[in-house]
Amino acid sequence: MRKSKLKGVTAAVGLLAAATLVLTGCTATTSATSADSSKTVHLTFTNWDGGMQTVVDEWNKANPKIQVKLIKPAGTGYTLYNKLITNNKAGTNPDVTEVEYQALPALISNKVVISLDKYLPDLSKNFSASALAQVQFQGKTYGVPQNACPMVFFYRKDVFDKLGLSAPATWADYAKAAAVIHAADPAQQIGNFTAADPGWFAGLAQQAGANWWTTKGTTWTVGINDAATVKVADYWEGLINQGLVNPEPNWSAQWNTDMNSGALVGWVGAQWGPNQLPSIAKDTAGKWEAAPLPAWTAGDKTVGIWGGETEAVTANSKYPEQAAKFVNWMNGSTAGINSLIKNVQVFPASTPGQALPALKTPPPFMSNQPDYNAVMAESAKNVRTFQIWGPNANVTFDSYSNAFASALQNKTSLSAALTTMQNATVSDMKKIGFKVNG
Amino acid sequence: MAIAAPARAHTQAKVQAHRKKRGSSLPVFLVAPAVVLLLLFTIAPAIYAIDLSFLHLKISGGLLGTGTPQEVWAGFSNYIATLSDPEFWHSLGRMLIIAVIGVPATIFFATLFALSLDAKRARLVGFTRLAIFLPYAVPGVVASLLWGFLYLPATSPIGGQFINYFGSTGIFFSVTNVAVWGVVGFNMVILYTAVRSLPPDLFEAAELDGASELQIALRIKLPLIAPAITMVALFSVIGALQLFNEPTTLKPLANAITSTWVPLMRVYTQANVNNDIYGGSATSFVLIILTVGLAIVVNLIGRRIVGRESK
Repeated sequence: MRKSKLKGVTAAVGLLAAATLVLTGCTATTSATSADSSKTVHLTFTNWDGGMQTVVDEWNKANPKIQVKLIKPAGTGYTLYNKLITNNKAGTNPDVTEVEYQALPALISNKVVISLDKYLPDLSKNFSASALAQVQFQGKTYGVPQNACPMVFFYRKDVFDKLGLSAPATWADYAKAAAVIHAADPAQQIGNFTAADPGWFAGLAQQAGANWWTTKGTTWTVGINDAATVKVADYWEGLINQGLVNPEPNWSAQWNTDMNSGALVGWVGAQWGPNQLPSIAKDTAGKWEAAPLPAWTAGDKTVGIWGGETEAVTANSKYPEQAAKFVNWMNGSTAGINSLIKNVQVFPASTPGQALPALKTPPPFMSNQPDYNAVMAESAKNVRTFQIWGPNANVTFDSYSNAFASALQNKTSLSAALTTMQNATVSDMKKIGFKVNG
Repeated sequence: MAIAAPARAHTQAKVQAHRKKRGSSLPVFLVAPAVVLLLLFTIAPAIYAIDLSFLHLKISGGLLGTGTPQEVWAGFSNYIATLSDPEFWHSLGRMLIIAVIGVPATIFFATLFALSLDAKRARLVGFTRLAIFLPYAVPGVVASLLWGFLYLPATSPIGGQFINYFGSTGIFFSVTNVAVWGVVGFNMVILYTAVRSLPPDLFEAAELDGASELQIALRIKLPLIAPAITMVALFSVIGALQLFNEPTTLKPLANAITSTWVPLMRVYTQANVNNDIYGGSATSFVLIILTVGLAIVVNLIGRRIVGRESK
């Protein structure tokens, strides 16, 4: 879904994928030049999610006239997006591509993806305003949202029960529980603070009320070091300094071991966690439960998102109408969403999709928690995001990883790292030519 | 014979002319593939990159830009941005620290192994040589992963629980270790070949004069392979400038390495993460100039040492 690195795509496989990309690029242009409706249209689709091939196969079976070929990209995340931006000029992009929400504005401003209003039905019936805010800009729609990734708190129920703790309702409770856990066993900690995942920290900031980017007319305001974000940074810095939270990055061999061995007994994660956890902490299957993310004030159910993607149609596509049809089937129709739930463990962004019976069963890793998806649905209802993702979130994200890793390594202040992010983001936006306040 | 002579002269002239003709076209023909490849895959991209380094992308109109983004003339602004970015100099500084530890270590171990293998008393030479060379055959990424697991407390069999291999100082030694481990074998082979090609009567004469094995190694072999050592030093310095695989692979394991840790990582991040291929090109050129400069300096120092030895 979003944790690309984990999927262990080796360099060799990547090269093969790149080779296929080149090959298919050639065949697609030669084999289908006429837009004759009786002819079969061939589309290419870039996506790195595990299980996506089955979803595509189901579409191909039901739509013999529009055949989709899935391409696994050589690099995921911004490696892919930057390649799309570069190849856009050469005209070699696939027809449809996966785009994480935070990268969509960059692809729009580089004219890599096109607006789909001409081809799509009215989405406001089936999607919440917060879901549509991720794909609509200045009144134009650029994709159909695939999934909602509300942040949640995963914890080792067995360890919490033994210590007489329950899932923390507020961040103050989280800090208290962290102290109890660490006091009971100095080798155990409630969780980690990851400098490797900018989207994770952005989600925590969203919950606290931050707005990293806002717009008025055509002018941007950047507020990465706003009061709400500084509050989040200071809170975690306190826990790290007391030794209650481990400053190690997610997805490293060390983190996997700590999650699996029980040195870490909690994880601030997101809906897609159970898709990744089997490869991280397989020995602990059935011992975890998910609870709503702790709140800043008791009773407030607001949460942020971490991850989430849409499918977008590229400007290079010769068949935008057919491509949009495929996108809408996958993320907007019952058949497509059911296939995504079953094969890619997606929690759909579509409101009727969230009520599908396929979600009644929890993911295999959470088989001990039958109401897993009910927790997700409740959290998904209370999602708060930034007003808009900036057009250069890649620069902000890279700056987060560097500035926070350095701050954690050198034990300097995390809020100073926020200032570094703010400056890097603003100066890059100005350089590219966006109108920025301040 | 008198009749035959002019005819022979004639054919000889013909053959000579023919040879001359062939002589002038054959080398061109033989060299052509290499030149074409060089032009196509090194010179042409380099010229394109120089062009890019003087451009930058401009988006205008509306919130997210109305038209297609334009490449506009940037003058020297990309170069100025690189040279005035403190992070660029920090990345160079980190690379220099690694070079200062790694280059002497590589030369020292490669020389030590080469001279030891050539010693009379050395046994199992073939096997040992292969064993020392083997790490060079392990791709840098794989080597870094292997060492990463050796360093991490959770999986470390070499004391990662007590030694912080990812500490602010430790990280330099950890990265250098992976790099040196990988290249020592290759450099050892260069030096070993140099030692083996020395005339053996020199050592026999020294032995007759009563020189010990150690004295022969240090006083005779070492000075004679000085040119080869200079070459090894040059390779090592260039290797340090090109440091990329090891820190990039170790990066996700801890907070110690950032995406701009060494200059080449900075270039990669600029071009492929921050989508600023223009700034990345400018940084590349600054690095190329520095590399060529350093190579000249190492060469000069090497020549001077060799020159002094031969006097």
